[in-house]
Amino acid sequence: MNVTEYIASGILESYVMGVVSDQERREVECLSSVYPEIRQELDQLSSTLESYALLHSIEPPVSIKTKLLEQLTFDEPGKQETIIRPMPVDIPSSPTYRITWIVAASVGLLLLVFSFFLFSQLRTNQKTLASTRNVNQSLQSQLRQLRENQLQSDQTLALLRQPGLRTFALHGNEKAPQGNMLLFWNTQTHQVAVQVHSLPPLPADKQYQLWSMVDGKPVDAGVFNATNENQLVQRLNRSVTRADAFAVTIEKRGGSPTPTLSTLLAIEPVKS
Amino acid sequence: MKRQSSLVSESALLEKLVQRDQKAFQWLYDQYSPALYGVVLRIVREEEHAQDILQDVFIKIWKNLDAYDANKGRLFTWMLNVARNTAIDSLRSNKTQLSNAIRTDEENVHIVDQQHNTEQPNPDHIGIKEVVDKLRPERKQLIDLVYFGGYTHEEAAEELKLPLGTVKTRVRAALQELKELFKL
Repeated sequence: MNVTEYIASGILESYVMGVVSDQERREVECLSSVYPEIRQELDQLSSTLESYALLHSIEPPVSIKTKLLEQLTFDEPGKQETIIRPMPVDIPSSPTYRITWIVAASVGLLLLVFSFFLFSQLRTNQKTLASTRNVNQSLQSQLRQLRENQLQSDQTLALLRQPGLRTFALHGNEKAPQGNMLLFWNTQTHQVAVQVHSLPPLPADKQYQLWSMVDGKPVDAGVFNATNENQLVQRLNRSVTRADAFAVTIEKRGGSPTPTLSTLLAIEPVKS
Repeated sequence: MKRQSSLVSESALLEKLVQRDQKAFQWLYDQYSPALYGVVLRIVREEEHAQDILQDVFIKIWKNLDAYDANKGRLFTWMLNVARNTAIDSLRSNKTQLSNAIRTDEENVHIVDQQHNTEQPNPDHIGIKEVVDKLRPERKQLIDLVYFGGYTHEEAAEELKLPLGTVKTRVRAALQELKELFKL
């Protein structure tokens, strides 16, 4: 085939101008790939038309580019797009979850701390209440004690204030060297009371008994205990109208009609 | 010159385009949209229509990149053909517009040239008048009819009332003359 003749035939020009039949087009494409001369001429002609087209360049409106960029689908730079792609779906959602969790956890923690605070407050209050109750109870018992003491004191004071009262100090003999007590006798009301300072303790079936000596004979003046317990003064439930002396013996509980002389602990004469 | 720089990077550009790289597309658009728009506007002669077609052209280019064969010619040539064919198809789909275009061809080309010269004082385009003026009027007319009018040889022959052979010879002569003009 004569390449020069083919080039000169004008078929290449028609080809680049787009005015060839499909058969001619295939022919040109085939021959141009075989013959470098045809290829070269074709490239020059294409180039010429490109230049000619460039001469007619007119800048299109910017809106077209904008529209195209919106319409066309592009791949993000990088090659693992398909792998990377699900990530942006996950990433925006995960912070939301994370924030939700953080908020929930914070609220939970806050509630926990607050309830612990309330609980400790409750415990403190309970403790305070309990101790206050105890203090209150002890105060109440102390108050009761004080009132009783006050009552005793009042009674004692009333007793002592009465006119005609005589006071005797009785001291233990050799059987009770530590024995020490006071005896109050009202010569007008005939009442008798004792205030034990110290006397030996007695078995449960024994009691101390006071005797008034009238004309050398002992007369029962009542029984009393070794301790005053809460009372300042033990009143004896016998009235003594006359007495030359007072004596104390240990007798069986409730007292004896006659004194047991072997248990005589103290005797004090009444000086008129 | 723009085209020279594009030649160097064409294979690299194509690789990026096939990967659907947005930057590559933007570069392609910025580089070639004025030329393609100019061609399309020349063919359809109506700015709004030309803009719609230009959009279609770039969508076609983007979708049919795989169909482009670098062995058959350069990317720009292929793109020019896509633009030209899309514009001509659009014209042919409306026969009245085509006949209209045939009748007022010269007039409209003149209008487009005027628009182009007033609106686009681009240094690249200053040579258009020189080149076109150097081209013999009957050859220029033929190139415009065939290339920008979408006329076949037969249609051009009928339009210009010339024998088919003369038309074919003139097309070749016109292109050869253009080729020589651009070589200067």
